[in-house]
Amino acid sequence: MQWYIGAMALYAAFLIWTNVKSLKMAESASDFTAGGHRMGLLLGTGTTTATWVSVASVLGIPAFLYSDGAAAIIGWMAGWIFGGALIPIVGYKIRRPANPARTFPEFVRMRYDMFARRSFLQALIGVVMFIGYLFLVNIQATGFGIVFSSITGVDYKVAIFGFLIFIVITNVGGFWSVATTDTLNAAVIAIGCIAAAVTVLLSTGGLGNILDTLAVTTAPINEGGPALDPGVLLTPTGSFGSAALLSIFISNSLGTPSSPHWVARMLAPMNVKVAVLQIMANVVVLLVIWLPLIVMGLGAKALIPSLPEGVATDYVIPLLLQEHTPVLVAALTLVAICAAAVSTGNSMLLTCSTSLYYDVYLNLFGRTVSDRALKNWLRFIVFVVAVIAVVLAIDPLWFLAMGFTYVYGGFGATFSLTVFLGLYWKRMNRAGAYASIIVGFVAFIIATAADVPVPFVVAVSASAVACLIAVYATKPPPLESYEPFFEAEISESTKVAVERVLKLNPAQQSEAVEVRSV
Amino acid sequence: MLIALLWYLGAVIFTWALGLFLLWRIEKSGVKRWGATGRLFTYK
Repeated sequence: MQWYIGAMALYAAFLIWTNVKSLKMAESASDFTAGGHRMGLLLGTGTTTATWVSVASVLGIPAFLYSDGAAAIIGWMAGWIFGGALIPIVGYKIRRPANPARTFPEFVRMRYDMFARRSFLQALIGVVMFIGYLFLVNIQATGFGIVFSSITGVDYKVAIFGFLIFIVITNVGGFWSVATTDTLNAAVIAIGCIAAAVTVLLSTGGLGNILDTLAVTTAPINEGGPALDPGVLLTPTGSFGSAALLSIFISNSLGTPSSPHWVARMLAPMNVKVAVLQIMANVVVLLVIWLPLIVMGLGAKALIPSLPEGVATDYVIPLLLQEHTPVLVAALTLVAICAAAVSTGNSMLLTCSTSLYYDVYLNLFGRTVSDRALKNWLRFIVFVVAVIAVVLAIDPLWFLAMGFTYVYGGFGATFSLTVFLGLYWKRMNRAGAYASIIVGFVAFIIATAADVPVPFVVAVSASAVACLIAVYATKPPPLESYEPFFEAEISESTKVAVERVLKLNPAQQSEAVEVRSV
Repeated sequence: MLIALLWYLGAVIFTWALGLFLLWRIEKSGVKRWGATGRLFTYK
């Protein structure tokens, strides 16, 4: 156990060092929330990779590979990559303005509610985001607890509180702190996954042996459970069935590009081109992490035919590492999984807290705060939200990867039309945004609760109908609201309107944005 | 298994194809603020 504790202590020391360094870079409120819109390609790729690789991928996907076989590759890995392919379509437009928004709800305000003194649309989105990200952070805390309890033997319900310590460390410096540690976390995750996959290949005798085993195994997922059909783990749909797998694929893919933290990630790069290149580099880096995860998930079935009764499949990787890999590899990989939980959790907590304080409170109550006060409040809210997420994780709500699918599906159903039509259709207006958000959100919850086969498609269809009716029943939007996203040079009236929106946000009044590349 | 891996690979290829198209559009626009430099993969 001392190897595991030692590795965790080294990781904590490393986080403290990088965060103290990055503190010097957190100069303004814009730096704190969106990196001052000056992030370069290397750091951008690192932080995007680490945010992408969460416990849902490192623990959750191998868990579904273990229980459902190759179908998990289509449902989650291909789904997320396909969704990732659509993110640059957002970045291509949203990063165009000379003065971009700092948060996702603020972008919506600039596009749809430019002349409102207090934007209820911005606040509505802030509230929906808060709910969604609370669940996503909860999933990270659950994953952290699973790993930490496996390492130390401490009860899971105590182990999840260790998540708070790492979150406090990594949020000291805001966006730059998150980005810096994320980049280094990405390296730790990649090394850990590769080392573990090589060990699994050596233990099983190679990929051929793993596939041979999967082709004939009937071992139940848990001891005493129903036997699997021979060969089902190598079929494209596995035990999900076509409709369920399609639903998972669509939720993961189409939900990704309109998830607020990915939209916010597209606001941070120094220009449009870096935003696009960042995602292209990202999918290549992900191959280095996800291919080892496929080996680990499928190899686990060959090495551990059935889990003990009552043990969730999310525990399969910690079990595999502890029982079938050398202690150094296990320690490195388990730290990598903790890194995945922390790096995704801190990014989402920052998004969640910013939406609550900046987009709801400051927006609705029109308060003026200094940059320093804003950053301190955000740090405080990050901690409070993290505590709530950890308390909710005491009794895990769902399987890790499936929880992500629900929330991504919900985000996609709620925000897809607001984002994509707002960026590519000049006629899209405020009424359309309200209609698509409210109908998409409600329809997704009803369709999911009613166990409709493809809830995302049902919700987006309902949202599209409501949106089109609202758009054509109301006036076209003013030129000022869409011009920054469509034209390189904007009119004087648009410049004045954009400045007015930014000045109406009190936190930006005293801000001096220093443009420099990193 | 092969079909699943081909889906994954297809998604990666789609990402690059779409990304290259967008980079080409940026270059075609010639707007330096958006990152146009005259070369597809140069961004400063």
